[in-house]
Amino acid sequence: MTTSKLGLKGRITALSASLAVAALALTGCAPAATEKADFGDLSIQLSWIKNSEFAGQFFAVENGYYTDAGFSSVNLVAGPAATEAEVLAGNALVGIANPISTAPVILNEGAPLKIIGTTYQKNPFTILSLKDGANIETIQDLIGKRIGVQAGPNETLFDALLKANGIDASEVTKVPVQYDPAPLTNGEVDGFLAYVTNESFVVADQGFEVTNLLFADNGLPFVTESFVVTQDSIDNNREALKAFLKATILGWKDAIADPDGGADLAINNFGKDLGLNAKKEYYQSKTQNEILVQTDETAANGLFTISEAMIAQNLATLEAAGYSITAEQLFDLTLLAEVYAENPDLKG
Amino acid sequence: MKTFSKKLGKSVLNTAFSLVVVTVLWVLALWVFDVSPYIGKNPLDVYNFLFTVERAVENQQLVLTALGQTLYDSSIGFTAGITIATLVAVLFALSKGIEQALMPIAMLLRSVPLIAMTPIIILIFGRGEVTVAVMGAIVVLFPALVNIVFGLRSVSPSMGDLVEVYGANKFKQLRTVAFPSSLPAFFAAVKISVPGAITGALLVEWLATGSGIGYGIVSAVGRAKANEVWAYVVVITVISIVLYNLVALLEDYVLERYGFTKSK
Repeated sequence: MTTSKLGLKGRITALSASLAVAALALTGCAPAATEKADFGDLSIQLSWIKNSEFAGQFFAVENGYYTDAGFSSVNLVAGPAATEAEVLAGNALVGIANPISTAPVILNEGAPLKIIGTTYQKNPFTILSLKDGANIETIQDLIGKRIGVQAGPNETLFDALLKANGIDASEVTKVPVQYDPAPLTNGEVDGFLAYVTNESFVVADQGFEVTNLLFADNGLPFVTESFVVTQDSIDNNREALKAFLKATILGWKDAIADPDGGADLAINNFGKDLGLNAKKEYYQSKTQNEILVQTDETAANGLFTISEAMIAQNLATLEAAGYSITAEQLFDLTLLAEVYAENPDLKG
Repeated sequence: MKTFSKKLGKSVLNTAFSLVVVTVLWVLALWVFDVSPYIGKNPLDVYNFLFTVERAVENQQLVLTALGQTLYDSSIGFTAGITIATLVAVLFALSKGIEQALMPIAMLLRSVPLIAMTPIIILIFGRGEVTVAVMGAIVVLFPALVNIVFGLRSVSPSMGDLVEVYGANKFKQLRTVAFPSSLPAFFAAVKISVPGAITGALLVEWLATGSGIGYGIVSAVGRAKANEVWAYVVVITVISIVLYNLVALLEDYVLERYGFTKSK
């Protein structure tokens, strides 16, 4: 008796679910009838709060590059977040992450993710500390300290830093923090995982003398602000991804031409509610262009490219961190190559 | 004793039924919402993660260590919360004035979202066991307090009059009459406090201590370790259901001994 009742309930659920799916499918079909390429809504999972770090994306939204490219709307989702999971779940077409956080997801979870380009050619990750406090200058100084690490992808980076330098995870205390470096200045932690172009400047601007332990100088050189997508999107939504790349390149070209404008967009528009430190935003927007986004490589082959040598370096970093992965498993730079082949003027 | 063994059987049946319902809802929700298999794991995935895959033993260790920490944190919060609630309830029973003075503070603790208070609590008490106790107690305190106060007030007036006539002071009245008659309410308080204490522990682990299941879930979600996330959720849910039913069983046993008969 009970089972037959449950069965009925199950059937009702199934019916309503299939109706919902059918409705979704119908509405999904409708826009395809229009002539211009229509890739629907674009959702980008950012790796951090909306500050100058994403100046290029802000320009691309503001100047309509995404809509010109065929997206009906753009949603920039602020981090820090479970970037890879959001992309896997289909909540975001593109996630902004890095090879160190993405590779373990591919290896351990069998997730079909690929990196299709990168904004930063180098990574500005640092363990930030106060000169008058723990003053963490060398990797050995980390031992016995309390380090503020944001839950999620940044934990993978921190684990990698320890592993690559032969420090056992039990020798350092990891403390959960958010994006705000206040726990460092109020003494809750000895060190804070940060960007040398961001929090490091913010804390210094508050009048503290800071010490930086750069990941790139301590066995972990890698690219970051990389675009992570699913293999499914590459196979079935390739044109949308290329449209995203093209529009984002245009946005970053604007950000390079006008770093102050990029900072203004962060301060007055996209990150308006965050009470951003304006001085830092101008500094970050300018500095990232000079040392992270533009290199000889991007001058020759265009923004977002990752050279063979750079790929090899990233794989070596991953190896040191305990993740053996091949270039084919992690990177697919053919989309970017096609974008530049189809739009040669984008390179200049 | 015969009725108790009957109740034991019923309790086991209740627990099993709860678990089956949760499992069915789980599978159904994954199916209805068409969750990506990389994110939404089903019961079989979790079983494999814990028992059949190559790293199963390490996975078990990971989950059990986190569970142990969470149960420890929960017990700290539970003990702190119930103890304070009982003491305060006794004070309230002894003096209407104290109740009128303190109840608004208890209400305040209830109405300010704990997440909003966490940064201040961390600044004051640090990230150690004191914070675990404080946050656990805040979650447990209010519902437990209301129940226990209600229980202490539930003495029938004639019983109160009787002991008063025999010369009992307020303390003695409490001890001889109010405490025993408040037992059903006290157990109701304990029953709702068990899941409450677990919630409090998960919260404090997530935001302050960075250990146990509360942090493990957030961390594993952030690193797309979906199997690990679901395994954490499964063990903490099962434990929560089992503990709740164990307390219910204890309640039945004690109330029966004290001669309370449930009307339902």
